[in-house]
Amino acid sequence: MQARQANAVAEISYAEALRQGLQQAMSLSPSVMVLGQLVDYAPGVFGSTTGLVEEFGPQRVRDFPVSESAMTAIGIGAAVAGMRPVLVHHRLDFMLYSMDAIVNWLSLWRFKSNGKSSVPVTIRAIVGRGWGQGPQHSKSLQAWFAHVPGIKVAMPATAFDAKGLLLESIFGEDPVLMIEQRSLFGLKDRVPSIPYRVRFGKAVVRREGTDMTFVAAGAMVPFSLRVATQLGEEGISAEVIDLRTVSPLDTDSIIQSVKKTRRVVVFDPAWVSFGVAAEVIARVAERQGRNLLADPVRICHPDSHTPMSSALEAAYYPDEKAVIGRLRSLVRRSA
Amino acid sequence: MAAITHDGILKAGRYRDLTIGDGEADVARSLHQFMLRLRLCEEALAREYHPADEMRCPVHFCVGQEAVPAALSLLLREDDYLFSHHRSHGYYLAKHAPMNALFAELYGKQTGANGGLAGSQDISYPDKRFYSGAILAGATAISAGSALALKLGGMNGVAVAGFGESAADEGIFWESVNYAAVAKLPVVFICENNNFSVFSPQLKRTLLDNISQRVAAFGMPQASIFGNDALLVHRTLREAIARARKGDGPTFIEAYTYRWSGHYGPASDDLVGYRREEDLEAWKRNCPLVLLEQAMTGRGLLVERDKAQMQRQFEAEISECFSFAKSSPFPGKIDWEGLNLARTTPEADRLLVEVEQQEFDAHQESTQAKGY
Repeated sequence: MQARQANAVAEISYAEALRQGLQQAMSLSPSVMVLGQLVDYAPGVFGSTTGLVEEFGPQRVRDFPVSESAMTAIGIGAAVAGMRPVLVHHRLDFMLYSMDAIVNWLSLWRFKSNGKSSVPVTIRAIVGRGWGQGPQHSKSLQAWFAHVPGIKVAMPATAFDAKGLLLESIFGEDPVLMIEQRSLFGLKDRVPSIPYRVRFGKAVVRREGTDMTFVAAGAMVPFSLRVATQLGEEGISAEVIDLRTVSPLDTDSIIQSVKKTRRVVVFDPAWVSFGVAAEVIARVAERQGRNLLADPVRICHPDSHTPMSSALEAAYYPDEKAVIGRLRSLVRRSA
Repeated sequence: MAAITHDGILKAGRYRDLTIGDGEADVARSLHQFMLRLRLCEEALAREYHPADEMRCPVHFCVGQEAVPAALSLLLREDDYLFSHHRSHGYYLAKHAPMNALFAELYGKQTGANGGLAGSQDISYPDKRFYSGAILAGATAISAGSALALKLGGMNGVAVAGFGESAADEGIFWESVNYAAVAKLPVVFICENNNFSVFSPQLKRTLLDNISQRVAAFGMPQASIFGNDALLVHRTLREAIARARKGDGPTFIEAYTYRWSGHYGPASDDLVGYRREEDLEAWKRNCPLVLLEQAMTGRGLLVERDKAQMQRQFEAEISECFSFAKSSPFPGKIDWEGLNLARTTPEADRLLVEVEQQEFDAHQESTQAKGY
């Protein structure tokens, strides 16, 4: 459809934007169905599925047994037969029983059929943070899934992107993992009421700057924006790129910015080693390595499982003040 | 009635219960034709596989296990779905996918069913709604998903999953059985119990060998049968498929059978010492094709001359398939990204609106910075 002004716009939360996206997808096409534990109860997976069963009935909004492995494979089979299933996991950790279905079947279905059969399955996986979520409620693992060919991985940071990427996933032809951070669910944002799309592999510049490029994903987008604002007050100008999707990764937007700033800092809400941050820096090194004024920086979680205690959580997740200090010295040293 | 077991079948010796009922003459002829064609196809592939080594992929031959695919070939509609395990050729032909594209796929050619991307153990033919894969229990849950879609579509189609008994070693199998039962899905699970996971016998892997008894505990109708009696397999599957079509839910069938070849490739792997030679010989005496032929001959449904003619016809077809496969080109230009991801999004183009995003992006900074 043609680009057009979105006339009706409301300020709604990330959770409500997801709910609205699902509601509109189900209205637009009878092929859309939702599978997941407790998707048909009033709390509606943190508000993101509330009201769907009342409107579309229990055949299309299905509370699923605690059989994550079969749930994913059933999603695949339904997609093979023409459906566009949306699977919902309260925590990404819970979907790990379905790694075989995802890696051995879903990701390569299109490939091994030589493009004749596609499986548009959307997997929504929520990642916890804080209040003692601990090591089995807070893993993100975007790098695992981004590593596998044939699956797209979205990490919307705003309500606008959450709805637009969800709709794009549902009505696209490829399998998608949407990693949704629970800490973003309450954030409000201006969201068009129409069913619109946000494309995969198109990052967005959230803030323009000249001294360094911040590349951020998911909940690290608001974090990096706060860091950028505070550095700005000290006269250090950071450009903030929100990746929106980590696979495909919008290399061109990153390179374009780094050409200008010649410094790169990656904010990835996951373990630091072997992750998305490493991939971003590798791509920068391949194309702009000799032009960098400073060593690249990764702002991530330590290579450790998540602790429960609030005191330890505070030490585990990146700290704004510490990050600002580190990045300030980055500019001064290399200036 | 005591449950069927592999030991019980061996103890019983020669199978004598194959009957062709009144009105089953045509079914018998069709089953025979399918099994003969499949047997000749597999034997020809086996002869050609080594030492020519032009089919450079793992092939799991299904000689001795022809009865289940034969029955399915008569019972499935064009719009039904069939998912199979890695011992796939019989199922591929059961869905009436073309034999020449099967051969070309094994040769890794562009004209193969999947352009040489899949090979024998991952072959599919989407136009005929046939799919396979090498992870044992994968087909069971995927077939349940297609059955769910068929149920929602209200078109009385069915999905069938064919798999071996080792699939029941995997947890997802039981999740699938449970969900198919509770959601009353139009799916038929057909388990070819050939006793071995490569070399490992079932009773080394589970305490009980009769899977159907365990399935019964999930509230699903089930049957456990001698799987080399093609007529019995046909009757049992016909009933299960009819039940699914009527909306009465899933069925599990356990068909006891035996593979003649090694786990993969045409050669014997019996040097490993995992099964007794006399067991294989006993099962060969219970060959599904021979059992059917004897019953047909007894009823005057098969004369040697007709069989010989049929055989010549199939051999000619097989020979053409080899020529087709060998003369076809290898895949040419490769587009890795296009092979793995879709290049177009027709449904998104049709249903979704492009909005001027800059307006929204511009507002993000202030809104988001407040957040956590």
